Amino acid sequence: MRISDLKISISGIRGIVGQSLTPQLILKFSEAFSSFIGEGEIGVAQDTRPSGNMLKYSVFSGLLSCGATPIDMGILPIPSLQVYVKSKKLKGGISITASHNPVEWNALKLIKKGGFFLNLYEAEELLDYYYQGKFKRVHKSGIIKKEAHSFRIHENKILRTVNTQAIKKKRPKVIIDPCGGAASPYVKNYLENLGAEAICINDQLSDGFPRNPEPLPENIEKLCESVKKYGADIGFAQDADADRLAVVDEKAKPIGEEYTLALAVKHYLSYKQKSPVVVNLSTSRVMEDITKKMGVKLIKTKVGEINVSSKMLEIGAKIGGEGNGGIINTEVHACRDSFTGMALILEYLACSDKSISQLRQELPTYKMIKKKVKASFSDRKRIFNLITSKFKQGQVNTEDGIRIDYPEFWLHVRPSNTEPVMRIIIEGKEEKLINSIYSEIKERL
Amino acid sequence: MEDRLRISISGIRGKVPQALNVEIASKFASAFSSYLEKGTMALCRDCRESSRMLALSSISSVSASGLDCIDFGRLPTPFLQFFLNKNNYSGGLSVSAGHNPSPWNAILLLDSEGFYLDASEGPEVFNIYEAGWFEKAPWDKLGKIKESVFPFHLYLEALSKIVHFKEIKKAGFKITADPCNGAVSPFLKPYSQFFGLKTITLNDETDKPFSHSPEPSIENSSQAEAVVKATDSDLGFLLNSDGSRISLVSEKGKGLSEEMTLPLCLISLKGKIKKVVSTVASSSLVDWAAKETNLKVIRTKVGQSSVTHTMLAEESKAGGEGSGSFAFLPFSPGYDSLLALTLILDLMARKGKKMSEIISPFPLLVRKKIKIGVSPIKIYRVMDQLEEKYSKENPDYTDGIRVNRKNAWFIIRPSLTEFILRIMIEGKDQKSISSIEEEIKERIEI
Repeated sequence: MRISDLKISISGIRGIVGQSLTPQLILKFSEAFSSFIGEGEIGVAQDTRPSGNMLKYSVFSGLLSCGATPIDMGILPIPSLQVYVKSKKLKGGISITASHNPVEWNALKLIKKGGFFLNLYEAEELLDYYYQGKFKRVHKSGIIKKEAHSFRIHENKILRTVNTQAIKKKRPKVIIDPCGGAASPYVKNYLENLGAEAICINDQLSDGFPRNPEPLPENIEKLCESVKKYGADIGFAQDADADRLAVVDEKAKPIGEEYTLALAVKHYLSYKQKSPVVVNLSTSRVMEDITKKMGVKLIKTKVGEINVSSKMLEIGAKIGGEGNGGIINTEVHACRDSFTGMALILEYLACSDKSISQLRQELPTYKMIKKKVKASFSDRKRIFNLITSKFKQGQVNTEDGIRIDYPEFWLHVRPSNTEPVMRIIIEGKEEKLINSIYSEIKERL
Repeated sequence: MEDRLRISISGIRGKVPQALNVEIASKFASAFSSYLEKGTMALCRDCRESSRMLALSSISSVSASGLDCIDFGRLPTPFLQFFLNKNNYSGGLSVSAGHNPSPWNAILLLDSEGFYLDASEGPEVFNIYEAGWFEKAPWDKLGKIKESVFPFHLYLEALSKIVHFKEIKKAGFKITADPCNGAVSPFLKPYSQFFGLKTITLNDETDKPFSHSPEPSIENSSQAEAVVKATDSDLGFLLNSDGSRISLVSEKGKGLSEEMTLPLCLISLKGKIKKVVSTVASSSLVDWAAKETNLKVIRTKVGQSSVTHTMLAEESKAGGEGSGSFAFLPFSPGYDSLLALTLILDLMARKGKKMSEIISPFPLLVRKKIKIGVSPIKIYRVMDQLEEKYSKENPDYTDGIRVNRKNAWFIIRPSLTEFILRIMIEGKDQKSISSIEEEIKERIEI
């Protein structure tokens, strides 16, 4: 079986520049998006990948070809684009970013009116436009507008939701690692405006990203070293499009991306207001502990930002997100936003007058394994059958792949939207137990 | 028929979006940049409503193939050709359909010297296009994209050196310009200042649609004629959308045929050139002017590609066509309306004569240009039949069928840019050309 690196799916279009991701594909995809959205203004942002410029010209051309008016927003984090699309009432947005993928990759992420990702049905309709090639082409193309100050709108929205006075008083020393990504031009200044003393590392691209852009503990060693070197109170790491956030404590130890969301949610519920919490099905049980203790409801949705954010808006939840470090506060906007995450966690430091390691210790500890295995469609079925027959006694949820809960552990097996793999997540209190469960599954595959 | 794309060395041309669209532009730019040597490609576009989007997708493709890209934005095609000729670039691409009306557009491909591709180079690019055999540079080798401003002062300097600059300046002509809201519009002011002209400009709003058909001709001259009269201008002129063609209006407010442009340029260059290349479809005024100025005339196929490449092969500095096109190789390899205009102003200044006086010795000829729409499937069959019908008159087959008769001549040929038969009849009197027109119309069986 030959698995192409090109992925055209409900998540957009993604591939490797110079191989599968050609200007023609990007052009057609932009024409499909423009035909789907209709005439009107569409914000176009990019991360710092050097291929972004080449792709941007195709995106502009494709949008103009079907009657849209592109707004060139330059390098901009994806949550800032989402906030902009919402506040300026644009028809939609396109972000040219492959977020946490390596530098040779690139992708288009598509945003609809209101600043949200497309849901399943909308994405299917868009793909129909793409595959049928029936674009609503015009012969008069419009103009391209420019917008250089869109981050400010995002920043001001966040600053209105946090107590910057309290943070200023404490003036925590923060090391920030934006991985040379879309946050790089803005994040130091942003942290200073929040009231922190900020030192920025890895703020530029040289021969690619300064580190693997996925903010996992194994990729942020330099951040840990810097926290130690400068005696900082906290370290933050973002991915290339700045939707995900990882935290390093004052002892230079990564707390794990699942605990980013846990800290933000616990703070929100303790110091700001009570609200139901929405997370995805792959999120740690620590969220159950927190919400139980605070006496609020916890709702789990399918994986994917749009699923979590729609549910939050539906039930009026203010706080939630995804366990991979994606914090959502609907007071700013119903999207994963590392900037909102940083604001909440810094506010937590200030309000609690405790250190990050202390705050982390107040939360129960779970061990989590996240693995991915290559799997074609036929493999997927076999894996599902294997899992269900093996773990019959547990509580089964088939909303998104299969999640099975036992008192001591849970596991979640689901096909990825972005890669031809199955994701396997197992979490429990005992490291030994989850390791043995994983090796049992792996043996059978 | 309306939806078809016309692919030739005169450009990849069609109505937007049904025949020509961003996807096709993108693929052609990929094919062309895969064909060219590595380096930098220079791009420009005219002011058509579809030109921006077609240029953007082309730029993206050029960058993706690993060639750097310098984008001049809105710029007349001859300026880009001038620039390529004087600098070291891999090639050029212009999004412009020159004289075609508005829903049309075209992608023009230029070589490293600024020439149109020749009859062997063009098909190479088309083959790469068909095969989809595109260069793909990896992420760290993508071409850089740079927006740039055309160095118009260098263009003006070069232009001033081939004419009698001081005489033109001294004459202080008053002229009426109608650039048809095309790409030359913003350059008319600095041009006029440089040559000391008082210029009244109509239709110079590049954001607006064409004020009339962008083909310089007597039929489109009425606005300029009125303004020349009202303002007592010494000369009026009309340009097409990318500034490659020009037709004139005399000081009496009378529109002149676009066929007059080339002979006037030849007279202006008297003594400086020995040969001229023109086409089998251009007026016999060319022969008259050549005789007056001791030139050898070489006639070739219609189109900038065949004329300019014949100029190279025959070592002829001058060349042009009856469409109002003129090129002078020591200046640039492109058909250039401002070049033609400057040569004609030079002639007026040196002779101290008015335009009507300059053209008074020209032989009086009447001509008729006819377009007949023929579907692309039938067009060559129709030509075949005509060949048979005219074979006894010993026709010239250089381009279509040209027949010379005692008091008139005519040519019937398929257009390079549209799905039409172009017919031109020229003669000494109205009667002889009318009878030929009737005869041809009878003989064409569609």
